[in-house]
Amino acid sequence: MKTPLVIERRFFYYVFMSYRLSDSGSSGDIELAAENESLEGLFADAARGLTEIIVDISDLRSDRRISLEVDGENLEELFFNWLSEIIYLKDVDNFLLKDCRVSFSDGQKRSLKGDLEGDDIDPDRQNLKIDVKAVTLYNLKVEKKDNHWHGEVVFDL
Amino acid sequence: MNSGDFKRITENMWEIPVSFKDGMRVPARILSSGKLIDSVDDKVIDQITNVACLPGITNYALCMPDGHMGYGFPIGGVAAFALDEGIISPGGIGFDINCGMRLLRTNLTLDDIRPRQEKLLSRLFATIPSGVGSKGFLKLSRPDFNQVMEKGSHWCRESGYATESDIEHTEDGGRIDGADHKAVSEKAVSRGIIQMGTLGSGNHYLEVEIASPENIYDPEIAGHYGLDRDNQVLIAIHCGSRGFGHQIATDYLQAFSRSVRRYKLEVRDRELMAAPINSEEGRRYFAAMASAANSAFVNRQLITFGVRRAFREVFGLDDEALGIETIYDVAHNIAKMEKYTIDGREMTLLIHRKGATRSFGPGRPEIPQVYRDIGQPVIVGGSMETGSALLCGTNTADRETFGSTLHGAGRVMSRMKAKKSTRGENVRERMKKSGILVKTKHMAGLAEEAGFAYKDLDAVVEAVHDIGISRKVARFYPVLNIKG
Repeated sequence: MKTPLVIERRFFYYVFMSYRLSDSGSSGDIELAAENESLEGLFADAARGLTEIIVDISDLRSDRRISLEVDGENLEELFFNWLSEIIYLKDVDNFLLKDCRVSFSDGQKRSLKGDLEGDDIDPDRQNLKIDVKAVTLYNLKVEKKDNHWHGEVVFDL
Repeated sequence: MNSGDFKRITENMWEIPVSFKDGMRVPARILSSGKLIDSVDDKVIDQITNVACLPGITNYALCMPDGHMGYGFPIGGVAAFALDEGIISPGGIGFDINCGMRLLRTNLTLDDIRPRQEKLLSRLFATIPSGVGSKGFLKLSRPDFNQVMEKGSHWCRESGYATESDIEHTEDGGRIDGADHKAVSEKAVSRGIIQMGTLGSGNHYLEVEIASPENIYDPEIAGHYGLDRDNQVLIAIHCGSRGFGHQIATDYLQAFSRSVRRYKLEVRDRELMAAPINSEEGRRYFAAMASAANSAFVNRQLITFGVRRAFREVFGLDDEALGIETIYDVAHNIAKMEKYTIDGREMTLLIHRKGATRSFGPGRPEIPQVYRDIGQPVIVGGSMETGSALLCGTNTADRETFGSTLHGAGRVMSRMKAKKSTRGENVRERMKKSGILVKTKHMAGLAEEAGFAYKDLDAVVEAVHDIGISRKVARFYPVLNIKG
């Protein structure tokens, strides 16, 4: 029963992918801009976009599941901390995120729970591209415009 | 940038006056050759003049000839802060704390390695872990890692991974004083402890290079540094503190974002978050930053250990016959306490160097005795297609730039543009035709690091030579390259 779920998610990913990767002002690094109707979706899109910098996300399996909780003093800090956690899991747990569900734990949106699924790093069956080492504060934004949530972030590579 | 707006101090130095921007406490100085000055990005000007607004900054904010846009400071930014009223900022050091270069000499020549070059490349690639997810060969305990943080390369010597000569030929003997493992988060430790002895990815590399006679510009100094035969084989290592340094920068950017209000510090860029040097937060960041700097010295030392092993295996020679010795190891991203004479008074200042190399001239007590009469070696990295340069520190740098010079060629093309311009396989073939063999885990990364994505190394080296903040000694060309 697992396979259809994965296919459906891949389909979802390709058709409705709502992040864009581009050159940051600093020519060595990459900027991610994401947009989603919901804040939960924005955070999930940004996490998938982060993975896409590191690896062809379609090469990843959904063998592993990790849940985590993240806090921040404000929405931007929460966004920064969330993405920093994804990088941390890559370095320490050898984990690459393929997909995730995000739910906010409070009305203030200062803490969230992430249910992640993904894969071990395996250069033999994955097209690994470049390592992402940190989230920067440069141009970091999370804002609501025209009924959509927008997020921008630059990663240090 | 239109250089006509600024005051030309010397042939290769422009000054931006304090009237340029509200809040500037000192002028900013851009070092550049006449040819390069008009290509300096406006964002670099904005960033270096933001640095000039920081409390306690002394004399001027400086940008080296290889300067380009960074976060907070430009890359190539140098600034000195008075200890009593100055600040310390992760944005003035960089995420990859003590990213740096090490240069090793050998007794081998090009003729010795050509017949075994493919075997050597494969052996080095297998011995030095690189790329996403790579882990070091050491299984360090937590007490061991505390020693790595606080003792730096001295831990390597005690553990059999370094020689006495390696320690002597490393900036600050491979240990920055003031490191304290208690200032480092558990998260940073868990990222760092598994990555010691790994190259990383991006623009990090290990290269086997050749010093051919026509590229030795100053034979006397070159000989003093250990270049003593034609077509000598050298090894250049470019890497830093890996995820450990990045996590420390992340942790303290956040901590400073909270404390900046308490200290009423006005910063014009979130990446310039800072704390007073003498505050609790400032002292803790310095201790954590020094811990990361020490781990980076250890990282390059462990890679050196691996290089020696790989050469022994391939050539069947012992260490004495191979003669693999450290010429020098320099930090590119760091903050250090150093003494300078300001207005006739000797002062200890906290020097931030971000994408800049220390360039101490003759007589400075901080450099090894063996180099003290001539000045320290300065190792400058180019792209993987262009090799490296070796320069010598000068007293002009001590006077003009807080003992600092350039660190590398600097990118001119973004990764994405480079990747659109060519394919990794094409770069590998082009390099092969030029006599350079390359091995990597990430083929797309080769395109991103192609030679055309970087400034002309010779032009920036020529600029610092003309300015006098370091002297050209030699230029090396690659024959084997492991790209992280």
